[in-house]
Amino acid sequence: MRTLPVQPVLAALALLGLLGFGWLAVAPNRLVSGTALSSFAALHFWVAAVALLLVAAVPISPRRPALACAALLAALGVALWASGAAAPPLLEGMPPAARVMAGPGFWLFLLTLLLMLTEAARPAAALRRTMPLVLLAMLAALWFGGALDALSLAVEYRARAPQLQDALLRHMLLSAAALALALVLFVPLGWWGFRASRAEAVLGTTLGLVQVVPALALFGALMPLLGALLRAVPGLREAGLETIGATPALIATALYAGLPLWRGIVVGLGAAPRDLVEAAEGMGMTSRRIDWELRVPLGLPIFLASLRVATVQCIGLMTLGGLVGAGGLGAIVFEGMAQFATDLILLGALPVILLALFVDGVLRLVEGRLARWRQ
Amino acid sequence: MAAMIRFAGISVNFGDGAGLRDIDLDVPEGALCVLVGTSGAGKSTLMRLVNRLVVPSAGTVTLAGKDIATRDPVELRRGIGYAIQSVGLFPHRTVAENIAIIPALLGWEKRRITERTDALMTMLQLDPALAGRYPHALSGGQAQRVGLARALAADPAVLLMDEPFGAVDPIVRRALRRELAAIHRETGKTILLVTHDAEEALELATLLVVMREGRILAQGSPLELTAMAADPFVRELLGGAGLPLRRLDLLHVRDAVRPGEPEAMAPEIDADASQLDALRLMLEHGATSLVVTEAGSAVGALRFADLDGRGRT
Ligand SMILES: Nc1ncnc2c1ncn2[C@@H]1O[C@H](COP(=O)(O)OP(=O)(O)OP(=O)(O)O)[C@@H](O)[C@H]1O
Ligand SMILES: [Mg+2]
Repeated sequence: MRTLPVQPVLAALALLGLLGFGWLAVAPNRLVSGTALSSFAALHFWVAAVALLLVAAVPISPRRPALACAALLAALGVALWASGAAAPPLLEGMPPAARVMAGPGFWLFLLTLLLMLTEAARPAAALRRTMPLVLLAMLAALWFGGALDALSLAVEYRARAPQLQDALLRHMLLSAAALALALVLFVPLGWWGFRASRAEAVLGTTLGLVQVVPALALFGALMPLLGALLRAVPGLREAGLETIGATPALIATALYAGLPLWRGIVVGLGAAPRDLVEAAEGMGMTSRRIDWELRVPLGLPIFLASLRVATVQCIGLMTLGGLVGAGGLGAIVFEGMAQFATDLILLGALPVILLALFVDGVLRLVEGRLARWRQ
Repeated sequence: MAAMIRFAGISVNFGDGAGLRDIDLDVPEGALCVLVGTSGAGKSTLMRLVNRLVVPSAGTVTLAGKDIATRDPVELRRGIGYAIQSVGLFPHRTVAENIAIIPALLGWEKRRITERTDALMTMLQLDPALAGRYPHALSGGQAQRVGLARALAADPAVLLMDEPFGAVDPIVRRALRRELAAIHRETGKTILLVTHDAEEALELATLLVVMREGRILAQGSPLELTAMAADPFVRELLGGAGLPLRRLDLLHVRDAVRPGEPEAMAPEIDADASQLDALRLMLEHGATSLVVTEAGSAVGALRFADLDGRGRT
């Protein structure tokens, strides 16, 4: 099969972002969108450097992945640095509440460039590991070096740093707790589903139905349901359950993560080939031993993949916890929405995305390491 | 000799007519019993009765005089070596770990397991460097040797082998077959073997069982079953037009030798050679008789007309 020419298409989109839309916006305060500024107006001749690096990366991408990555990282670095440097002069003479925000062109460029980087690193295994590290180091250098300090997201961050750090920590704890709850509930159910095909059919349908319910509706519906439950069984309230806050968020998130986990267990346990199981039986392995020494190790890649999916899902869905008073990064996102403050929304949403990507990457690494006995 | 494995009045019912019917078979201790038959005849099913992977709908299977239905299946299976065509090596265990599966189940000490594994790898001519490899990195022939080693690991008195030399080239196949014959000779184990290779069946069997559609069609020594009178299906299965030659391969020159002077200039052949070798020599030299020698000195003559026992009738 011929692969699509991904890089040229992405490069065209990135150029469109760079040249076609507003790159920055200058606004009198954080709640209005302000007047758009093209990249030429904001970055001057640096636009040419960015565009050149971007275009140069395309033809060399398949054969010289390292060089292509370097060119793309340079394009990204220059674009970010020049944007940061453009902000202070723009703010001169403006009131203190004035801000320089990233415009739609900036975000389109950023997104497509990150995709191009992933695509460029794909052919070389070593690059797939080092490129994200270099990217992170570069972003950290720009951020901590103060190059981006004048942009509105950084301003917003400085105003909210302690709150954001608390929210991030709480978000991680809540996600971990939801995942733990899902594991406790659905791993045994998965085992049961594997053993009994009737159970599998019923459980599979039920968990599938949960996925169909819009997440927002499930989070919302849980509050009155929990309220009714707590009125009926007052003892539960004393045990720490509440109608708002962490309880509904944990339950809803765990229910969503249930399907991938449960399915992973059922499919993973069934992954051992029949003749292998039969050989084990013929050698006098008890069915418990066959489970532990054959089914579990052979299902491990599938278990891990489903754990990864469930974890990422927990991190993402926990954002909705902000709606039911559970706190976490979602609370910041929804506060931003209520104020129509784009920067605040981004301040809550970006860490969720980064956290999910990070966890996904780490778990993928673990998966790759484990399968020593496979090709 | 006492029967090591006895099938008495066995029927297995899989529904829709498949299964086994009216099976009576005694496998003597130390026998190498080969099951042959068309695909779906029930060979594997018959074999799997012995380690209770299949439960009969009627009849009993006795092992060393004991009804296996009264035995704990797990403990029973640990005492029986089982090798299958697809080999069934655990992909996540190394070669050494695979061989050690049953000894580990039996709770042997670590040192004893290592010694046994090393000994088996030597016996089956597996390079010691392979011990730490995973099965995906083995050739088909190596994998089958490992499968055989695993079946032999706990030194079981009975070995069940379901097409153990399936996926290898004819040369490796022959080498494996010779190794199996040697193991059988040296250990005196009772072996039940399924094969689709008639040459292999005739060479290895001390007891040959022909199956068709869930029944035993014929059983006996290879010589008995290759005799002219045997059932046409049996003859077809065991070699068709090539059968007379395969039969000659089973017979020894010694059994057809007659005393007396051979013709002058006749080629010499050892008394222990097969009659097929004798025929080959006759064809090569255009001779109709051979000088039979034993330890280098002539003991008599072999004439063309005496091949396959025809001279005696
Ligand atoms: N567990 C089972 N359930 C239902 N039918 C079965 C089962 N095992 C075997 N059979 C059927 O019983 C018959 C005999 O099968 P068996 O595997 O013993 O044949 P075989 O002689 O070993 O064939 P092959 O040479 O192809 O391996 C076949 O028709 C098969 O489909
Ligand atoms: Mg079979």
